[in-house]
Order: sequence, then C-alpha cells, then structure tokens
Amino acid sequence: MKLTTEDKLSLLAGSAKYDVSCSSSGSENNYKTGELGCAHTSGICHSFTSDGRCVSLLKVLLTNVCIYDCAYCINRVSNDTPRTAFTPRELADLTINFYKRNYIEGLFLSSGIIKNEDHTMSLLLQTLRILRHEYRFNGYIHVKLIPGASKELIEEATLLAHRVSSNIELPSSKSLALLAPDKTKEKLLSPLKHARDITMQRNAKPISMSTQMIIGATSESDFEILKLSSALYDKALLKRVYYSAYIAVNNHKHLPVPELSKPPLLREHRLYQADWLLRFYGFSYNEILSENQNLDIQFDPKTFWALSNLHLFPIDVNHAPKEILVRIPGIGLRGTEKILQARRFKKLCFEDLVQLKISLKKARYFIIAGKDFHRSSSLYTEKIKLALIHQGSNIIQPTLFDTSIYTGEL
Amino acid sequence: MILLYNGSFEGFLSLVYEVYYEKIQVSSIVKKMPESLLFERFHEIFTDEVKSRKVLDAITKHFTKEQQHTIFNIFLCDSREYEMALLEYIRIGFKNPKELRNITNPSLFYIQNLEKELLCFVHKMYGFTRFEELEDGTLYAKIETKFNIIPFLGDHFCKRLGKIPFIVHDVKRALAFVKNDKLREIRSIAAFDTPTFSSEEETFKALWKSFFKAAAVESRYNPKLQQSWVPLMYRTYMSEFQE
Repeated sequence: MKLTTEDKLSLLAGSAKYDVSCSSSGSENNYKTGELGCAHTSGICHSFTSDGRCVSLLKVLLTNVCIYDCAYCINRVSNDTPRTAFTPRELADLTINFYKRNYIEGLFLSSGIIKNEDHTMSLLLQTLRILRHEYRFNGYIHVKLIPGASKELIEEATLLAHRVSSNIELPSSKSLALLAPDKTKEKLLSPLKHARDITMQRNAKPISMSTQMIIGATSESDFEILKLSSALYDKALLKRVYYSAYIAVNNHKHLPVPELSKPPLLREHRLYQADWLLRFYGFSYNEILSENQNLDIQFDPKTFWALSNLHLFPIDVNHAPKEILVRIPGIGLRGTEKILQARRFKKLCFEDLVQLKISLKKARYFIIAGKDFHRSSSLYTEKIKLALIHQGSNIIQPTLFDTSIYTGEL
Repeated sequence: MILLYNGSFEGFLSLVYEVYYEKIQVSSIVKKMPESLLFERFHEIFTDEVKSRKVLDAITKHFTKEQQHTIFNIFLCDSREYEMALLEYIRIGFKNPKELRNITNPSLFYIQNLEKELLCFVHKMYGFTRFEELEDGTLYAKIETKFNIIPFLGDHFCKRLGKIPFIVHDVKRALAFVKNDKLREIRSIAAFDTPTFSSEEETFKALWKSFFKAAAVESRYNPKLQQSWVPLMYRTYMSEFQE
C-alpha cells in the first residue's frame, strides 16, 4: 500500500512525539541578508497542542523502521505497526514550506535505525545538507546523533545543526540492560562526548546538546536522577536534560502494565522544578535531596528545602544578596530582580512587595521586610506547613505550573 | 485640567511642550471629547510641528537609547490609557534620569510593566502569525492585535524570509507592512480584495493540521493548559485551530 505524504507525516510525527525536547533557544541571531531563515536567541513557540506542549520545531522521524528492540519504545522491531520513511528531499521540502508559512522555527530530526547506524546517520545528514546548502536555510535544526555512528558523521552533524542530542533513555546501566538490550550507557554518551570534543577544538565553544530520560518506567529514585543530571551539567556536556514521564505503549515483563498505569506527570513536574533549581538558582543536588530520597509531592522542591532548613530563615529582603533572595520560596528570578531594583530607592515593606506584584502567599512565612514579618505563625515547620496547606498551596493547578517546562524555553 | 489631544505621537509631544511652558496642572489626558464636563477645566492641544520637534530633540538629548525605545514602545500600546504615566515618565526623566529606575513609583512601574507586556505579546505573535502563499509567491498574513505591533513583525520577518516578498496586514488598524524587492514600508490599507492563493496552499495547510494533531500525546490531554498558552483571541488566523 502506498501512503500519501499526509499519512506518512501523521505516522512519523506520531512516533516522534514522545521526545520531549522542542526548544529552539540558545542560538545566536544568525541572520544573513537575502537568505531564508534565522534562529532566535530565546526560541519561539509557534503553537500548542491539545496536551499543552509547545510546537516549535517540525519534530519527525525520518523513518520508524527500527532494528532495535527497546522495551519502552513504540517503534521497537517486535511491534506490529505500519512502517514508512521520508526521503531526505521530501522532508527538506516540507520543512521549507512549513517554515515559510511561519508554522515552525525549524526541524527536529530523529530516526529509527534502518539497516545500520551509519546508514541512518547518513540519511539524516543528507536531509540537512539539502536544507543548508541547496536552500541556504539558516533556521534552527536539531538532529539526533545515532549512537554507534562513525565519528566523521557525528562531526558533520555538528557542522550542520544548531543542537545535537542523544537520549540516555534510562537513569542507570542496570535499567538499560533490562529494557534496552542494544544500548549501553557508554554507547549512548559517546557521541555526545565526541561532539563536544570536536566542537571545542574548532571554536572553543561546545555545540549545544541535550538528552532525555524516561521517568517512572524503572525504579531509580529522584536523588539518583538529579545526581546524574547534575553530573552532566557540571561536565559542561549538556545544556538541558529533559524528563519524560513514562507513557506505557507496550507490554513487557519489566514494565508497568499499560492499562493500569498513568504517566507520572506530577513527578515529572517536580523533577523539572528541581532541575531549574540546579541550573538557575544555585542549588546542588544534595541540598535538594538526600540519598535515595524522592521529591516531595505536596510541596515544591524549594519550599520543601526551606521547611527543612528553617534555621536559615527569615531572610531580610532589604539586605540579603541575590543568591540568598532566590532561595526564598515563592520568589523567583524575576521577583528577585524587582526587589534588587526597587530597594535601591526605598526600604521595602510587605505592601511595597505587593505593589511590585510579588506574591507573598508562600514568601510571607520566610521573610522580613522592614518592620513586617509574619507574626501569627512562628518559625516551626509544622505550623508553616499547616498554614501553607490551609491556603491551598498543596493543590496543584496545571495552569500555575512553571510554564517553561512545556515550552522548553527559559 | 483635562487635556484633549488627537492621539498621535506628534500630538502628544506638543502636549508635553504646553504642559512645560504653560505650567499646566494636568488631571487627565483624553483623546476624545468627554460627553459631559462637570467642574473640570478643559484644554485642547493642537498638534504643532515646531513644538513637537523641540520636545523630540530634547528627548533624544536627555534620554538614553533604551529609554527612548521605551517611550516609542509605550506609544504602540494604543489600546491602553498610558498618557498620564508616560507624561510622568518624561517629566522625571528630564528632572533626574537615575530616578527612572525607581519602580516604587506607580507611574514608572506601570510603564515598565506595560512595555514588558508589549514585548511579551510581540514575542507570542512572532510564533502565532501565519502566512498564506498567494498566486504570485507573496506570503500574506492577517493579524488582529491588541497593540500596534506591525513594526516589530515587519523587522522580524524581513530577517527570516530572505528574498520572499511578504505582507503583514493589521486588519483592525487598516495598516500593512509591505516588503518586496522594491519597497519595505508600512502603509495604510483602505480596501483589500480577497487575494487568490497559490495552488499548493490548501495542501500545506492540511499537512500542517495533520502534523499538529499527530504531535499531541493523548494520555497527557490538557486543553486548559493549551488555552492558557494560546488564548482564544490569538486563534482567529491560526489554521490549526479552525475546523
């Protein structure tokens, strides 16, 4: 049966959608007169699908044919699903036509493994070559490095794309052996290391890279997960780690049963919050969690940390330095900026903070502002917890979620 | 005293001139004559080229580039009543430029927030604007927006569309940014016939819609979250949201 382009697109976008990354940020303004396309420093979301996730890139697989048999994956060889493939030309044309109409910011290209690793990587590169050389397309391109592909191909990918990635899939070698017998941690990380090294040689600045871990399919604790992320950030290997709540698509003896399991969205959300604390708030993983601990479900990681470290509070908003201000529950980076800007002109009290549209809902229990502090509940963990719960901060409202999680942008 | 001006940038600069040189105590600034005037005194500002030029020169001299941008940007927020706050901003800027960063002053905080709101909105529209291809290859986008953001969109798409001619048409304000190999300008559009689209247009719209549908993960279905990201007012010209 011959499939139409529309059928192929539905199939290959449907197979790529479980990849979380969609961000198009972090690349310089690379505009060239008269040429098509240009990246935007902060990335741009072009739409949002009915699951509330952003569409920034044309995220598709080149093919969903795959020789691997990873237990969690919808495209594993042992699944009986319809298989198809784009030609590099078809995909390049589609990208250009979507880009012109401002549907997308660029292309996110991944693939199942067809024939072998090198053959697959070559097909991906061929698509990129058409876009970059023939169409002179400067828009954003994110391409998956195929673990096991040769070094020359990896190197070419780093020349053609804005961002490359390789998913480490599961947080430990043990889980990988159990669920993805064709992959090892070394095999998954080696293209990333290689890409970093060669781009460093070229221009001292490593290419932007990201990875993804599946959460909730295996038994690792949040502590182990954050420790791993933190190590990847520290080595300057990665710009982003994405966490993907496990969505059961297959039956497997080592996996949760599809009919009985829901994706652990709240856990995923807490992990992203903790990830933000690592990257932007100056926390280290062992401040957030202790050995084998999981993130608290009731409280966000920063509030949870503050409740366990009440001896550091209350904090005087008129005098505390920036790195301390950002640690106050309920006050984020923007709130901190406003406080720093405003306190040069005036000693701030609670009312001033409200005027500056800084929410005191959580923060009031943890700060002193001039003569103001929260008098009715003294600094005892249980009392503050009760007070926080009483005013509803334990209820998770999706609309209040840290929005950047879904957009992939800052 | 209530001041009436014609809503134009030059009109506002003339207003600033008179407030300074006639030492007017301003109680409010309006663009339209109020229906009933009770006890307030009332004064109409006539747009004056010389006066507005003088004020503009003074602003260019006294304010930093960034602050000048703020003043122009606020003017694009034409659905808001920013006049009193902007007058205050300019006054403070002439008196003591350092004070402009004092966001504990409600007028200055209002200006800072309004500019942020504008830039945020512009950023959203960078993503949500949709072009359709016309017969002759020109890309044509219609927009209906709360602020006048045509200048931003024009610059943005000039950078990314290369040599492709395009038009961004602000339907409500009857303005259009037009770019082709001969010109690049903002024009007012009195009447506009429905254009003829290229033969491929429907095909790509259909492809885009099926991609959009296929990219959603069913088990994470969350239309509320989707709507908080793309409120209904943005959806008018986004084909993926049309049946």
